Amino acid sequence: MKRGGLQGYIIKRLIYAALITFGVVTITFILLRVGPSSPADKYLANMSARTQDPAQVIAAVEARYGLDKPIYEQYVDYVVNLARGDWGWSFSTSLPVIKLIQRHWVYSFQLILLSMLFSASLGILIGVYSAIKQYTKTDYLATFFSFIGISIPNFWLGIMLILVFSVQLGWFKTYYDTGLPLFSLANLKALILPVITLGTGMMAGYTRYARSATLDNLRKDFVRTARAKGLPERVVIGKHVFRNAILPIITIIMFDLSGVVFGGAYLTEIIFGIPGLGRISFNAIFAGDYPVVVTITLIGALVVLFTNLATDIVYTWLDPRIRYD
Amino acid sequence: MPMMNIKMKGFIIFLVSLLVFTVGCATQAPTQVKGIFIEGTSGGDAETLNWILAADASSFSYMGHTLNSLATYDNQWNIVLRHLAKPVEVSEDGLTYTITIRDDLRWSDGTKVTAEDYVYTLKNLMFSDWLNYPYKTDWQEMVNGETVFVEPEVVNETTFIIKRKTVDPEFADNAIYSLTPYPKYIAMKYEGDVKAFTEAEEFNNLTYTGNLGPYRFKEWVRNDKYVVERNPDFYLSQETGAPYFEQYITKLLGTSAAVLAALEAGDIHYTGIEPEQVAKFKQMEGIKVYTVPTRSYDLIIYNLRENGWEGLNSKKVRQALSMSISKQAVIDSIRLGFGDPAFSFIPKPSPWYTEEGVTKFGFGSLYDKDKAKQMLYDAGYGIKKPDGTIVVQDEDGKPIKLTLATTTGGEIAEDIAFLVKQELADIGIEVDIKLVPWPTLLRQYVMNKVPGTDQEPRYNNDPDAVSEQPWDMILMVFGTHPIAPSGSRVFFATDGGLNYWGYSNPRVDELFIKVRSREALDKEVRKEIYGEISRIIADDQPVIFLTFPRGNHGFQANVEGIDVGMRLGWNYHEWYFAQP
Repeated sequence: MKRGGLQGYIIKRLIYAALITFGVVTITFILLRVGPSSPADKYLANMSARTQDPAQVIAAVEARYGLDKPIYEQYVDYVVNLARGDWGWSFSTSLPVIKLIQRHWVYSFQLILLSMLFSASLGILIGVYSAIKQYTKTDYLATFFSFIGISIPNFWLGIMLILVFSVQLGWFKTYYDTGLPLFSLANLKALILPVITLGTGMMAGYTRYARSATLDNLRKDFVRTARAKGLPERVVIGKHVFRNAILPIITIIMFDLSGVVFGGAYLTEIIFGIPGLGRISFNAIFAGDYPVVVTITLIGALVVLFTNLATDIVYTWLDPRIRYD
Repeated sequence: MPMMNIKMKGFIIFLVSLLVFTVGCATQAPTQVKGIFIEGTSGGDAETLNWILAADASSFSYMGHTLNSLATYDNQWNIVLRHLAKPVEVSEDGLTYTITIRDDLRWSDGTKVTAEDYVYTLKNLMFSDWLNYPYKTDWQEMVNGETVFVEPEVVNETTFIIKRKTVDPEFADNAIYSLTPYPKYIAMKYEGDVKAFTEAEEFNNLTYTGNLGPYRFKEWVRNDKYVVERNPDFYLSQETGAPYFEQYITKLLGTSAAVLAALEAGDIHYTGIEPEQVAKFKQMEGIKVYTVPTRSYDLIIYNLRENGWEGLNSKKVRQALSMSISKQAVIDSIRLGFGDPAFSFIPKPSPWYTEEGVTKFGFGSLYDKDKAKQMLYDAGYGIKKPDGTIVVQDEDGKPIKLTLATTTGGEIAEDIAFLVKQELADIGIEVDIKLVPWPTLLRQYVMNKVPGTDQEPRYNNDPDAVSEQPWDMILMVFGTHPIAPSGSRVFFATDGGLNYWGYSNPRVDELFIKVRSREALDKEVRKEIYGEISRIIADDQPVIFLTFPRGNHGFQANVEGIDVGMRLGWNYHEWYFAQP
């Protein structure tokens, strides 16, 4: 592939990324601010207990955070500040948004990273093995468990794991302890149940994809040729079959990443009390804390955009036939 | 003999020593400072520790660990002094309150907390325009049709007074006792700048709280945990040595299932328990469950405005409907026995509670569906068949169909809604249940305005105002102050800020004014007034008071020192871990 072709392609993708980012910020802001709720709504429950005049309380809260200004004015202020690197003040946590993200991203990151590693490595390994041993007891067993893995809801699995391994056996704490040093065995141990919870469904999926992709490639002419040439089976599978089978699986893994960040990770964080970005953004949505929601959505969008770009670049390395010029 | 005497003396000395040692152990051992206490909750995190900006219960709860108020209440609703040196003195005319604080209160830099700090907090922060304190109205009164603030004034270093122009016998309960100060010397730096005040490190990290609470701020990991550590300088420490935990952690878990699993596994020491889980936890050896009354109540509100069913404007019809819905069924089948029937907005543990002359629709002999049908027939909403049975129907001969709205996500609220639907179906009324999110319920069902005008929607606009969506009944939970229930005028007075259903009874309006008048300084008179309000509202039935739920609190069995009651936790700084 020509070097200039790839560079041009990356620049084009970066321009698209900038436009998409602007769109994400605008749409998220509008959805949060023109909806029927006000960030001050949450004050009402407590207000009825304190028997206050709701109109006065709402007005006071909205005025304090500048929510009484016209929406377009709030939007312009927000975008200008964002461009200047001021991500705003989170009024549901009383922290600057940047500080909030700095403190919490690591909890999501370690969970997602370990879950992806766990699910991808195990899933691909089982899938490939299952394909090689097609229609054997091992294959049937792998298929059976992967269907179970796909069908089990995250939250149910998490609670079951807690009840069995924490409550009954006492092997693990029932919740994640943020007091543990990040790079420690204790922290790794604390993440075992959350990683299994988040990773099981994905692992089952990857098993199925890997099995199917491997089977596809096993039937290809080049595999037959390799075998005819007398190459050892280890080389045939490792070099010829696996390398070709892995390509679509990488696409799926990268695509899953966004789903994991915004979906599964949140539920796992909730069950195990992990204060990651998923949980922070979910609470911020209900609090109408738009500076937090917009920022986390923006981070999510950037993760998806750049992982997709990285995937495309990795493709060219994995499959030299792919060109972007 | 002398030998025996010596032996006897020795034996007596041994016994006395043993006794002293035993008593010593018994009194000292339980109060030994040790361990980390973890409270688990599936509720929301606090929003701020800068309390003047807070409006959510969690923020006040977090802040309360480090900063006591002037006074609190015990389980019998007796006033317990905290920062107060002596009870608040009220002048004979009920217009001047003299407040004297302890002289051993210190900020973190060692300087004295003075009356000046309190007055500054009131005048320059809480009453200011720039800070927008949400609960200003606690400190306001109506004078000649104008809303004005009360007038605080420093008398000396430890004493200040608050002057009112009108009498409010519950002013101390509603406002004064819960007052906490900001340090004037820090707050002055931020005065007038709401952004700087909101983001001030000292206030957001509670670095100023000195000896003012049993604990000191240590760490707050948002959506995870709030950690405070023992304050050895706590102003009550000299008297009791409390608190006895090294740290008190509030741990947030996302679901109640996770919290209960943590309690069962011993990972936390305390949490609230759902009614359906109580039996299970009561059987566990390592857990103690305490059941206590609460200060909130659930109720069904009838829409008396134009867009409600016209029949609801008839008192007899409302009484008939209320008579068809069993409070006991709500308690037995939904709250699983953990509740008390409600007949007014005043809970049973309140000194103002009375049942004398209060009609108990939906309870005992007044839960009577046949009588309810007869009353509806008498009111013109039914026909009698030749066999004497009554068919309830609208004036036009059509079946009556009512809408009941409540919020989504609340299992108990949904169960109550379906029970109401079933109960009213028995008398021939169909109920359409609308489960809507809280903001939608507020915006579309609760807020109202006069149709065709550009009026700003409010919770209680003109009598002609109606909500965007029509409704007939709303199921909600309201809070009440057992010792100062006059605040409920916002619900039941014609011009009450939260009277969104349009109830109006001039006598009730008059009584709510009277309960905040000079004559109500006499507690007997006040009790009489509350009795009359309770009787009128129970008879009018603008709402069905359903139940006062009971709360269940689960503790690890080794947690001692708990005073069980409605104000569970009022003495929480004296809780301790029992010796094994």
